[in-house]
Amino acid sequence: MRRRDFLKTAVAGGIGASLSGAYLQPAWAQNPIKIGLPTVLSGGNAQYGIQAKRACELFGKEINAKGGILGRPVEFIYEDTGSDPATAVRKAQKLVEKDGVKFLTGTVLSSEALAVSAKCPEWKVILMSTINGAGSLTAKAWNRYFFRVNTSGPMGARAVSLYLAEAPMKRFFGLGSDYAWGRDSVASFSTQITAAKKEVVGKDYPPVGTKDFASYIGKIKQSKAEACYMALPGQDATIFFKQAFQFGLTREVKLVTEILELENMKAVGEAMAGTIGSTRYPFTVDTPKNRDFVKRFHAMHGVYPDMFDGETYEGLEWLAQVIQKVGTADDVEKVIDAWEDSSYEGLEGPFFMRKCDHQAVQPGFVVEAVKDPNYPHLIPKILATYPGERVTPKCRTEEFA
Amino acid sequence: MAILVEQLLNALALAGLLFLVSVGLSLVFGILRVVNFAHGVFYMLGAYLGFTAVAVSGWFWLSLVVVPPLVGVVGALLEASTLRFIYRRPPIYQLLLTFGLALILEESVRVIYGPTAKGIDPPPLLQGAVEIAGTFYPRYRLFLVVLGIVVGLGVWLFLQRTRTGLVIRAVAQNSEMADCLGANVGRVRTLVFGAACALAGLGGVAAGPMTTAYLGMGIGVIVDAFVVVVIGGLGSIGGSMAGSLIVGAAQTWGAFYLPETAMVIMYAVMGVILIFRPWGLFGEEE
Repeated sequence: MRRRDFLKTAVAGGIGASLSGAYLQPAWAQNPIKIGLPTVLSGGNAQYGIQAKRACELFGKEINAKGGILGRPVEFIYEDTGSDPATAVRKAQKLVEKDGVKFLTGTVLSSEALAVSAKCPEWKVILMSTINGAGSLTAKAWNRYFFRVNTSGPMGARAVSLYLAEAPMKRFFGLGSDYAWGRDSVASFSTQITAAKKEVVGKDYPPVGTKDFASYIGKIKQSKAEACYMALPGQDATIFFKQAFQFGLTREVKLVTEILELENMKAVGEAMAGTIGSTRYPFTVDTPKNRDFVKRFHAMHGVYPDMFDGETYEGLEWLAQVIQKVGTADDVEKVIDAWEDSSYEGLEGPFFMRKCDHQAVQPGFVVEAVKDPNYPHLIPKILATYPGERVTPKCRTEEFA
Repeated sequence: MAILVEQLLNALALAGLLFLVSVGLSLVFGILRVVNFAHGVFYMLGAYLGFTAVAVSGWFWLSLVVVPPLVGVVGALLEASTLRFIYRRPPIYQLLLTFGLALILEESVRVIYGPTAKGIDPPPLLQGAVEIAGTFYPRYRLFLVVLGIVVGLGVWLFLQRTRTGLVIRAVAQNSEMADCLGANVGRVRTLVFGAACALAGLGGVAAGPMTTAYLGMGIGVIVDAFVVVVIGGLGSIGGSMAGSLIVGAAQTWGAFYLPETAMVIMYAVMGVILIFRPWGLFGEEE
């Protein structure tokens, strides 16, 4: 056989093989739908990035086993931002320009989300928040390419305020971390609790990364508050709970936290029992869909899903539902139009995507950290559930009707 | 009165912890002339190993004795395998190297222990609170005050009263001359680096029950430790003690009386000292 003939045969054979491959496996012949996660995978905030990643792994495995979305497999690309907004933008840009993703999610800090979101109109890609709490993301800083599937900070504060308005406690202390989320949450809480004819007897804003809360604990004791409302990020909250217990504060003052995370409960242990707070997603919610999800999640990862495991899974499922309906994953404008005013049955109940600010209206929860012999750590017990209309702020604001 | 006593104890307990970390940082600079960015990570390593030791043995006191030497050995090995080769290069090389070591160690801890903080309970003897001047104060914090004082005295006596201490001080003063006089400078450096890491590890074990063991605790503490060392003077033990007291007081009292400026106070003190005594309170003018 001459070289030329060999080449001809080889090329023809190659084309034939790829064609027959295409007929045999129509699904995988197409490009994958890529979802990019500029998330935090190193340092202290890595726990949140890992939650997002766990949810993606479960969702990816399940959807691809069912033939993907529109017959296309789903692929996730993870990038580590190291909790830095400038790096988050750079990594997001890499995902958009080099990898060609049309959908970004998994941003961990609100500051990162604000920075990435501001670039999305230029890049023409969707940023789907499943973690970020800052109210401004769907208010002042909102743009058409940003969607928030998760419960926001003001929504969490709202649920807790509604609950406390009916509780017997009258005197409150506000303790918020010294940055946007902590200060916003305490301010929002104060307004609402004062409106309920209760008193805020003191406020303090410890800096992020505080390792000794003794002074703050002293002040809370001195204020004779009956409860302390706190908005501290994960690690700071863990340290605060430990020290509050050591100082005996938990015996005198009820601790109320803007978010009650599984990660905190695992790290603090029983010293945290009795703490109440809101949660973005409590894995103990008793819906058939959630019970099944928790079982599948635990089977894959060996742990119970934390808040952002659940929220991220919901976001991905909802996005897939929208893409399926609109019939394309490449025309971002069409996906946005179809997502607006759409409904989705989430793990915790019904979700609705408001057109005006792309905030998902969803139920709000107040939970208490309790011991349960069936679990290796404390679990969130649901004390109250509020319908989405009561806990979602007015459109493009951080205020409530 | 009760509040004053409580605030005083708060400042002393924090100072005790800061001292355990900063004294090593200060010694390493004084003797090796290296700004060790990885110092805080050894503190974190101490806390995590302390967690493991308590989890395995169920005995906090054992971890307090076993973990610091372990951290010290890790430190000494790293010094002997990396830092030793670049002492002659400009300081920026050492800074970059220790910064790299800090990142590698921190990520290694994350890979091994996962991102979740690890809670450590104080030993039964130190649980609960005691009544002092009408206020209940956690026993564990009183222990931190005592630990800081004991370690401070111990290090000082070691440097002043032992032969090894004498050699270390000689190397600190003039390493070339000490080399000529027969001191094994390389070994002294490794020893000091390891000992400093062991002290940071001790600080980490001691911090565990107060702050839990968590990623990022090293970076958080190193900033405070640098401020302590700048205020007290690089290379001085008395300076580390004074600096720890000043920073401890600035942080706790600032947070209590002037919460909006708590962070600023510490740096303001440092700024004033840098202007009027750039070599620190107890440091020596060079």
